[in-house]
Amino acid sequence: MDNNSILLSVRNLSTHFFTAEGVVKAVQEVGFSIKKGQTFALVGESRCGKSTTALSIMRLVPSPQGKIIGGQIIFEGRNLLALSEKQMRAVRGNRIAMIFQEPMTSLNPVFTLGNQIAEAIKLHQKKRTRKAWAGAVEMLGKVGIADAAQRAREYPHQMSGGMRQRVMIAMAVSCRPALLIADEPTTALDAIVQAQILDLLDEQQKQNGMSILLITHNLGIVAQRADDVAVMYASRIVEVGDSQRLFAEPLHPYTRGLIYSLCVERDASCEKARFQSLTTHYALRRTKLIPGAVPEPLHFPAGCKFHPRCPTGYRDKRCQTFEPELKEVGPGRCVACWYAPGYE
Amino acid sequence: MIELPKGRSLLKDGLRRLLKRKLATVCLVVIAAYFLLAGFIYLAEFFDWQIGPTLWQEQAGESYAPPSSKNIFGTDIFGQSVLRKTLYGAKISITVALCASLVSIAIGVPLGAIGGYFRGFIDEIIVWLYSTLSSIPYILLILAFAVVLRERSILGHKLTGITAVYLAIGLTSWVGICRLIRGEVIKHKDRDYVLAAVSYGCSRRRIIFRHLLPNVFHIVIIDFSLRFVAFIHAEVILSFLGLGEANRPSWGAMINDARMELSRGVWWQMAAATAAIFIISLALNIFGDALRDSLDPKLRTV
Repeated sequence: MDNNSILLSVRNLSTHFFTAEGVVKAVQEVGFSIKKGQTFALVGESRCGKSTTALSIMRLVPSPQGKIIGGQIIFEGRNLLALSEKQMRAVRGNRIAMIFQEPMTSLNPVFTLGNQIAEAIKLHQKKRTRKAWAGAVEMLGKVGIADAAQRAREYPHQMSGGMRQRVMIAMAVSCRPALLIADEPTTALDAIVQAQILDLLDEQQKQNGMSILLITHNLGIVAQRADDVAVMYASRIVEVGDSQRLFAEPLHPYTRGLIYSLCVERDASCEKARFQSLTTHYALRRTKLIPGAVPEPLHFPAGCKFHPRCPTGYRDKRCQTFEPELKEVGPGRCVACWYAPGYE
Repeated sequence: MIELPKGRSLLKDGLRRLLKRKLATVCLVVIAAYFLLAGFIYLAEFFDWQIGPTLWQEQAGESYAPPSSKNIFGTDIFGQSVLRKTLYGAKISITVALCASLVSIAIGVPLGAIGGYFRGFIDEIIVWLYSTLSSIPYILLILAFAVVLRERSILGHKLTGITAVYLAIGLTSWVGICRLIRGEVIKHKDRDYVLAAVSYGCSRRRIIFRHLLPNVFHIVIIDFSLRFVAFIHAEVILSFLGLGEANRPSWGAMINDARMELSRGVWWQMAAATAAIFIISLALNIFGDALRDSLDPKLRTV
């Protein structure tokens, strides 16, 4: 990999939560790299640690319960975990921005939309109020809101969910960050608006050469929009790879299970479902669910965390005792499974 | 061209709903009348107009004359018009209550916000402070402050009776608003919009004062209107105990005088003062409730 093109490199990141019931190891030894101008998807079911990973990159983990206990996050040549809070504030919103899942509650109810975007601009670009307001109106126009000058004077409770998410995106990209972290940006929106928001993100990416870290549990979005994918399960990354190849040839049993639970058979004689357009669903009775359930963070199984649900692992002594590390098995392909092809 | 609705802030929304209630509007008028009266008296004293309440010292009739067409509320022991004294008392009460409110808000709101946002050690100190303060009987505390402050001067400025009174009340009454603000801040600081604001680089001070406080400020407004009554009563009690403004008429002093007068059958001074206190208290209570119903976002029905 050409080092020049890597924007963010997460190495061995671990984040724990210290609760009354015990230590919740939300993120364990997570590592991945995002290239410049790329969309990197972090996929997994709920409670697998994806959002916590995103918050850890921004150093927004709720403390004192949560703490990043190890690892490095190299961004633009600096380790974000070693920066002071003041230096980190200069990064947030400016070089790395984040949009959240719930647009309905992510905006301050007592400020106008224009005010909120202008605040982000004022903080980082040191512009005066009038120029910041003009910048805010311009951003609103760029994210596709009609009558931007009028809308900027309105309040969040006067807007729909889709529009609020657009405003969040406007706030996030107003300072042209190098990396945008989108934490389930479309989960709370309906399907049509989802597509619009994703198109908007694509557009912003092309205009500014921005990288996107897309966190989602929706494989359909990942298949359509992501360049690289990392699959997370129970606080660890189990597979990383190029999006097309990962869907065509999943190496980890969990990834396989995820895809087969959505895909349908291409024809009756073909056992292995190949990657089709995930947005067309037919013959749902053919889909296969992964048996069992996601483990509780306080009671992770010993050995490989997926082994109780894995067709090969549930009987295997090695899978039950030893946890496989994430290892590279090909150019740009990593997997954490004892029985993955190429793993040793 | 579509006619787009104008931006409507939540506060304007709330005030609009408030004014739709007739009773609340009437109470607001009453409260405004008291304030205007106090303001008028200040003006009159400043410009030395000799009119109405400012002439409270003038002999308006015989000593202890009962209510008549000449003096609607009768006269006191010096023959001064009770009506004029009652009107003058409004100035004292409103001034004291207003200044005490400002002092207690100025202390209680920042402490509550800081404690609620930072939690941990700072919060524990603030909670300890106000718990201790609120455990001491209110009257004793105010008395102690009033007695101590009476003879002192701040920055070379001698503390007159009124100043001592409202400082005493303000310095001991910030506990309620502090608790309320602290509770609201704790609730709000984990909300998404705060996280979003931190994510684009707001400092903690900015979060507290620019993002959190406007969202909890409706509590201050509601508390202010309900608290005002308590401050008026506190002033009355202090004056009653002889610790208030000594040379000017105030409702508390009038009630104090009534202690001796009642045995002589002179009821009008006490009645006038009590009526004045009762009306403003009732108006503030009703208005405060209506305000809470209108401003609390969770109670919105329209």
